[in-house]
Amino acid sequence: MQFKGTKNFSAQEMETSIARTGGYSNAFTSPDWTAYFQTVPSSALELALRFEADRMINSLFDPIEVENERTVILSEREGNENDPQFLLGEMVSQAAFQQHPYRNEVLGSTEDLLNLTREDLYGHYRNYYQPANANLCLAGSFQPDKIMDLVHKYFGEIPSAETIKSIPAPEPEITAPQQLELLGAEETNYIQIAWRSPRASHPDFFAYTLVESILSGPSALNMFGTGGIGNRSSRLYRELVESQLAAGIYGSLSASIDPGTYNLYITCRDDHTPDEVLQRLDQVIDDFLEGEVTPDEHAIALKQAHASFAYSSDNITNQAFWLGYAQSFADYSWFTDYVGQLEAVSRDDILRVAREYLAPAHRVTGIYRPRDGA
Amino acid sequence: MTDTNSARLPGADNIFRKTYPNGSTVLAYPNPASPAVFFRGYIPVGSLSDPTGKNGIASFTAAMLSTGTQQHEFQKLHTLIESLGASISVHAGSLSTVFSGQCLKEDLPFILGLLLEMLSQPGFPRFHYQRLQKQLATVFKIQAQNTEEMASQAFDRLYYQDHPYAHPNIGYPQTVSTISLEDLQTFHQDFYGPNGLVIAFSGGIESEKTASLFEQIFSAWEASNQQVQIELPDWKPHRTDMREHVVIPEKSQTDLMIGTSAPAGMSADYQVCALGNSILGQFGMMGRIGEAVRERSGLAYYAASSLEAGLGPTCWKVFAGVNPKNLELAIDKIKDELKRFIDKPVTQQELADVKSQALGQVPLSLESNAGIVRFLLSLERYKLSLNYLRELPAMLNTISEEDILACARKYWDLNSLVIASAGKAL
Repeated sequence: MQFKGTKNFSAQEMETSIARTGGYSNAFTSPDWTAYFQTVPSSALELALRFEADRMINSLFDPIEVENERTVILSEREGNENDPQFLLGEMVSQAAFQQHPYRNEVLGSTEDLLNLTREDLYGHYRNYYQPANANLCLAGSFQPDKIMDLVHKYFGEIPSAETIKSIPAPEPEITAPQQLELLGAEETNYIQIAWRSPRASHPDFFAYTLVESILSGPSALNMFGTGGIGNRSSRLYRELVESQLAAGIYGSLSASIDPGTYNLYITCRDDHTPDEVLQRLDQVIDDFLEGEVTPDEHAIALKQAHASFAYSSDNITNQAFWLGYAQSFADYSWFTDYVGQLEAVSRDDILRVAREYLAPAHRVTGIYRPRDGA
Repeated sequence: MTDTNSARLPGADNIFRKTYPNGSTVLAYPNPASPAVFFRGYIPVGSLSDPTGKNGIASFTAAMLSTGTQQHEFQKLHTLIESLGASISVHAGSLSTVFSGQCLKEDLPFILGLLLEMLSQPGFPRFHYQRLQKQLATVFKIQAQNTEEMASQAFDRLYYQDHPYAHPNIGYPQTVSTISLEDLQTFHQDFYGPNGLVIAFSGGIESEKTASLFEQIFSAWEASNQQVQIELPDWKPHRTDMREHVVIPEKSQTDLMIGTSAPAGMSADYQVCALGNSILGQFGMMGRIGEAVRERSGLAYYAASSLEAGLGPTCWKVFAGVNPKNLELAIDKIKDELKRFIDKPVTQQELADVKSQALGQVPLSLESNAGIVRFLLSLERYKLSLNYLRELPAMLNTISEEDILACARKYWDLNSLVIASAGKAL
């Protein structure tokens, strides 16, 4: 609804004015925050700031537009539901979080999307869209002093009311293993496994990052960039894919304000059952927890982090994104000091964190199976 | 119109381009601030060279290049690459096999050495051949349940008919299962070599240094028996409406594609159609199509158009993801917009907007190493002038509303549309 017009600008005026510069604007929502971004030629930066400031306070939420957008978002959800891994992920999140809102799909359930009123949306907007509840991040070719004048000009006059936040209690650790099954029309078996991860500002998070790198390959820091680093030398790829049990595996560790999850996503081959895959996976995790991190593994994980960080600086959109993302759960130095923080992690730290978080009793396992038993 | 400072743009005086005696060509443009290097290139062999009954052989061969070389078996190869935080990937398209990668700049010599090994001396290990056969079987099953992929394959079947482009690059389960390891080795021996290889670099190393490094490593590659890929067969646009719906039960969304013929990337019409396409289904929130299908009707999360930039026959498509019950309504809305597109010229404002956007996108597209490399390869693939970007403003200036209308009418024949969809039964 933030792209449907304000008191000062029509939706089309905002959209076309930015597009005309060759730039682009969009928004995306994580469980913790909503980000609006514009990437424009530096000559159009004032225009971008004017629109963002206006969007913060003057959006209309026209009732007719609300109804149109409702069907668009339902369509987005229907597109996601076409993917069995989306459905599996939704089920695993519900099980991994009993009380914390991280259990809810960001897009919302179909039922919620059908029932949300214009007043619900506008109330959310007026409560959370406040200067004191926002971070503005800029990266690119400009002089900071001049830009700050523009920031003050467009954002300085916006009154800031206090945001009423319901602070969720952090989710307790997963104390007993859960295994859930989802049956569907697809012919392929999928597995998703979730372990609890610490909040991103927790000292253990950096060691966890290296655990992920060694087990399933490093997560890319490139939200807006090109490619990441492969994971074919990771322990789980070697033992599950190269050994011919699974068709693919990747991991994902997200930085979040509250404790979140480290997830593994496995696509099974049709000549091996999910149970066979899980049996081997358990062995790999056991070996990891009972063994040691080799100096080579440690060095490789650090070098990969160093390279990931270099790639992440390749474009200005990604630079601004990471400054804002880090600010949401810690402060921007979390990102600028990223490589140094990882370098301070010892091999013992990696094992200690792995043993604390990755015990089999502390995980949720979701399996998608073909309904016809293929 | 957006102002671009053409003197600062890449052009003949600062793009490095050189062809070597073995037939390979290097393009490079520096990005001094970058601590990394990104490269992408291609060898002129793709699924066009798949023998009859062996569809998928080019794609399978490309996949085998990442399974180990004669010097380094699978795990050693990937440990070497990944331990540097680098990447190298290879895949086959219709006309070429594309490779790409990135690394920290100090690691480029080593990574280029591994790239040469992968391209010229793959190990073709039987174990990994068998593994990939099984993995491909899984991929085919996943694709068969993917509405976008199935709509796209149905579209290509209808649109390209008996032209090789009608086949998916990956092949079919029944053809891939007949491809032997020896077939792959023969295909590699026949078609892989430095002749026609193109590679583009951008990153924190001077262009001359990068090129010299490439020459030092790749000049040793000779392949005297390298065959030239066959010429693209002729193709004529059909003259009737065609429609196919692929039934995939239990899908909550149907993917839809409506298309017609399009000019080749090198033709005089291409730039005109590109501006027209932007108005039709790209500009702002997916252009006129997005406005009609998404914004005004609320029928789809995505509804847009695309104009392929390719050699040989290409297509101009409108696509959308819709609720199954809204499929016919979405088709009608799209046809209404297509009719408007060929009935009346675009407005002066619309044309001014997309021209301004096309120029404004230039500096943004060049802000990353990958963006620079994409531009360099386009120059080579479509035989464009190295000064293309500097000449772009003058070129765009000559395009009028009437030119776009003429092209719209030339390519969009509403009596011979190809309509493909995939989702629940109709």
